[in-house]
Amino acid sequence: MTTEALTVVGSRGSRTRRRIFTVVAHVLLVGASILMLYPLLWMLASTFRPENEIFTSSSLWPSSWSIDAYFRGWSGLRVSFGTFFLNSFVIAILSIAGNVFACSLAAYAFARLQFRGRNFWFALMLMTLMLPYHVTLIPQYVLFLNLGWVNSFLPLVVPKFLAADAFFIFLMVQFFRGLPKELDEAAMMDGCSPWRIYWKIIMPLSLPVLATAAIFTFIWTWDDFLGPLIYLSEMRQYTVQLGLRTFVDSTGQSDFGGMLAMSVLTLVPVFLFFLFFQRLLIEGIATTGMKR
Amino acid sequence: MTARSMETGVSATGRAVAKTGVWARIWQQDGPGYLFLLPWLIGFFGLTVGPMITSLYLSFTNFDLLTTPDWVGAANYTRMFTNDPKFAAAMRVTFFFVIFSVPLKLAFALAVAMLLNRGLKGLPLYRAVFYLPSLLGGSVAIAILWRQLFAGDGLVNQFLANFGIIGPSWISNPNYSLWTLIILSVWQFGSPMIIFLAGLRQIPQDMYEAASLDGASKWRQFWKITLPLLTPVVFFNAIVQTIDAFKSFTPAFVISGGTGQPINSTLFYTLYLYQEAFGFFRMGYASALAWFLLLMIAAFTAFSFLTSKYWVHYDD
Repeated sequence: MTTEALTVVGSRGSRTRRRIFTVVAHVLLVGASILMLYPLLWMLASTFRPENEIFTSSSLWPSSWSIDAYFRGWSGLRVSFGTFFLNSFVIAILSIAGNVFACSLAAYAFARLQFRGRNFWFALMLMTLMLPYHVTLIPQYVLFLNLGWVNSFLPLVVPKFLAADAFFIFLMVQFFRGLPKELDEAAMMDGCSPWRIYWKIIMPLSLPVLATAAIFTFIWTWDDFLGPLIYLSEMRQYTVQLGLRTFVDSTGQSDFGGMLAMSVLTLVPVFLFFLFFQRLLIEGIATTGMKR
Repeated sequence: MTARSMETGVSATGRAVAKTGVWARIWQQDGPGYLFLLPWLIGFFGLTVGPMITSLYLSFTNFDLLTTPDWVGAANYTRMFTNDPKFAAAMRVTFFFVIFSVPLKLAFALAVAMLLNRGLKGLPLYRAVFYLPSLLGGSVAIAILWRQLFAGDGLVNQFLANFGIIGPSWISNPNYSLWTLIILSVWQFGSPMIIFLAGLRQIPQDMYEAASLDGASKWRQFWKITLPLLTPVVFFNAIVQTIDAFKSFTPAFVISGGTGQPINSTLFYTLYLYQEAFGFFRMGYASALAWFLLLMIAAFTAFSFLTSKYWVHYDD
């Protein structure tokens, strides 16, 4: 009887304790969320407020609204940001095509086909994941220079068609291995070639992983800075990241509003992916440990 | 006689069949695999193995891109360690950055993940909010924002002014400039947090129930159950984040305008490598820098794996 009474009291006590914990946790988390998002929201607000207010106001609500900064920024350089956006989109879309196609071919071989040396090549592929790209940077530059590809998109795109982003091979191998083997075996019995099995069975079943690879490819190439910085030197070929950087160097000190407005615009595509494919992104990170 | 000639004839054609059969069998067995692997193989040799060997060779030469490489032996490497104050500065900056940003980032990630893992309502919303900075953080736009936040008349100082504090220009003060980059890195704790959350979910709840029955405090449960069982995830996150921190480039480039200033206080290793290679066209020296970076990362990874058996708990 006494023990029964004790447990009742105990559970009531722990229930209040739990409630206090919940309130404290929410207060902490909301505080942290505000702190994390404040800079982003402030940047957004600053693009709509009068130029002189950017340096004096820490509020998130402009005293008067204007979208002038977007027009100023859009044509703030010799070449308009429209060109930079177009270039970035072209590079991103070609990169997606390259990565999805070349990486899935290699992943299919590693996951499904029997051939001598498979484990050897697979181990080498995993080793390239750890490699800092700096050790290949200079010879690759020399190679592309000799091919006459510098000052074009080719050095940024062609490596994707050669499955240079080995991370996606790894991602797809994991997924392909999870597909039921009976499908290929039955198709093989019916005389299907490996190519048909890849194209007609594996690829249609792998849309989730192909979508993940496509989205991450987009975000990575969209944000890539070093590649375009090295290979593109004419302004009409610049990507948005190079355009922004040029903006900082040339007019950034005089037109803060325009610079922040263009910064916001370059974040919009990635933010839209975040909005619509958040689950896919978070699952991708949780299951494979991608860094972003 | 006819019988014998017939016999040899048969065996000859038999051998011929067997011979083409061997090649056909090899083709049948290995051909498709290598065909599918072909794009990757071309890339692997053309863009990875070949360039690696070339850059190793270049690291023993002076090479300015226009004239042929000039063999200088180990001179580039000896210069790095004996006669290059900028290299020493870059090493200091990079190690300082790695040593402070990685543990702080992981500590935040783990603390928030543990708070979120207690069955709180609104988990998806919180997770999304904390993840957003790591998704956006690698861009030039965020580096520009950071430059503005920590400028002399930036948002941080506007905020401090409310308390009567007149802050310095954090970006252009060599005592603080690197810290602004560390804060930028810690701000992006979202993706390791997601990995921690996934790891925390793998820990069976009944272990905690058993521990509570035995009277173990929450604090003790953290040190005796959560942390040991989470060490594989901690290990993974630490390696990925450390390698990433070694390779960090864009924020330092944008915030310092590509210079690594003030007084080399943001001269990240990769920024120095970029300057040497594409600013001064000292490609040989830059190759030596690249190979030393590879050695540092390899040594760090090997060291982590070798020591992991003493602190990483593997369930087997």
